[in-house]
Amino acid sequence: MKSRSREKRRVAPAGGKTYVFQLFVAGNESNSTQARDNLARLCREHLSGRHEITIVDVLKDAATAYTHHVLVTPTLILIKPLPKVLLLGNLSDTRHVLAALRLIGGEQ
Amino acid sequence: MRSRKPSVHKQQINGVAAEELVHALRTHQVDAIVGERHIMLVRLKQAEEELELSRNQLRALTASLLSIRENERIVIAREIHDELGQALTCLQLGLSWMAGKVTAQQQPVQDKVRSLAALVTTMIRTVQRIADELRPGVLDELGLVKALKSEARKFTGYTGTPCKFETNMGKARCSREASIAIFRIAQAALTNVARHANASKIVMSLMVGTTHLVLTVHDNGKGITREQISSAQSLGIIGIRERVLALKGSLNIRGSKSTGTTLTVRIPRSRILLGHRPVSS
Repeated sequence: MKSRSREKRRVAPAGGKTYVFQLFVAGNESNSTQARDNLARLCREHLSGRHEITIVDVLKDAATAYTHHVLVTPTLILIKPLPKVLLLGNLSDTRHVLAALRLIGGEQ
Repeated sequence: MRSRKPSVHKQQINGVAAEELVHALRTHQVDAIVGERHIMLVRLKQAEEELELSRNQLRALTASLLSIRENERIVIAREIHDELGQALTCLQLGLSWMAGKVTAQQQPVQDKVRSLAALVTTMIRTVQRIADELRPGVLDELGLVKALKSEARKFTGYTGTPCKFETNMGKARCSREASIAIFRIAQAALTNVARHANASKIVMSLMVGTTHLVLTVHDNGKGITREQISSAQSLGIIGIRERVLALKGSLNIRGSKSTGTTLTVRIPRSRILLGHRPVSS
């Protein structure tokens, strides 16, 4: 997850909806690295086998960031399932992230 | 990130709740700002670290400059005292000898010799004063407490405003560097009082506690504002702060129109005291 501007990680669905994420980062900056690690952990723990993550490094691919109206990095966009969710920051507040992604406090 | 429920009523910027964006920026969770024409790396932490490093370097430089200045003062004071003082003393002796040789018939010459002798006496006093101001002999010879006592007395003499000095230092002694720093801090504080406070009473104290040595200069003048304390023009206060930081101490200045101004300097005892035996003031 370092040198390529876009990196796709796909895990084959193993039941339930597949969650498709797009994470916008700025190289290996501190918060971006944390966001990558936190998202990987959350997916491992809560979406095992049913998630797809695309990482976009804005330092190498600014155009995609503009297209998606990304203001700051790190930004996480939940593309699917709809509705689309947008989260800012290093995703360290697990409860808040899970709630925003509708993984706790309601139907998944 | 913080837990809160998203609201459709909240102000949105490009689909992001403005509150969310502000929070991310405030909590330093943002690495870069993505603009239409540029990507601006924030690197908040790195910038803060660099700033702190730069501040520390400046403080070290200031401490070094202060030390160099004190040493230069010692050399200049010694040169003035020894060279100029000795030359003037010789001149005074010569004039006394001449005065003894002048006969009663040479009245104009006698008058001239007398006036020159008086001028030389004044010059000797001036030289002593300059040397003393450059490096107070009392600080080296009798220590910090006596030097501060003497400074309080001088202040009263120069300004006509009573300046009281209190201490519980007893026989406790400070390191040479600390003595110089504390003395200069007290001098700067008193200079500020004389220039700006319009006070009628000053109390200066040097108290040693269990953990800290505390220098306090309190006046009952017109007080000081926060703006004045933090102003870049307040060179006296900036100098005091630099000396305090060099001793790993803390500076507190409080002022109000009704109570005047209190300057408090707290320095960890372990950094400056050579021996300690506090007594009541």
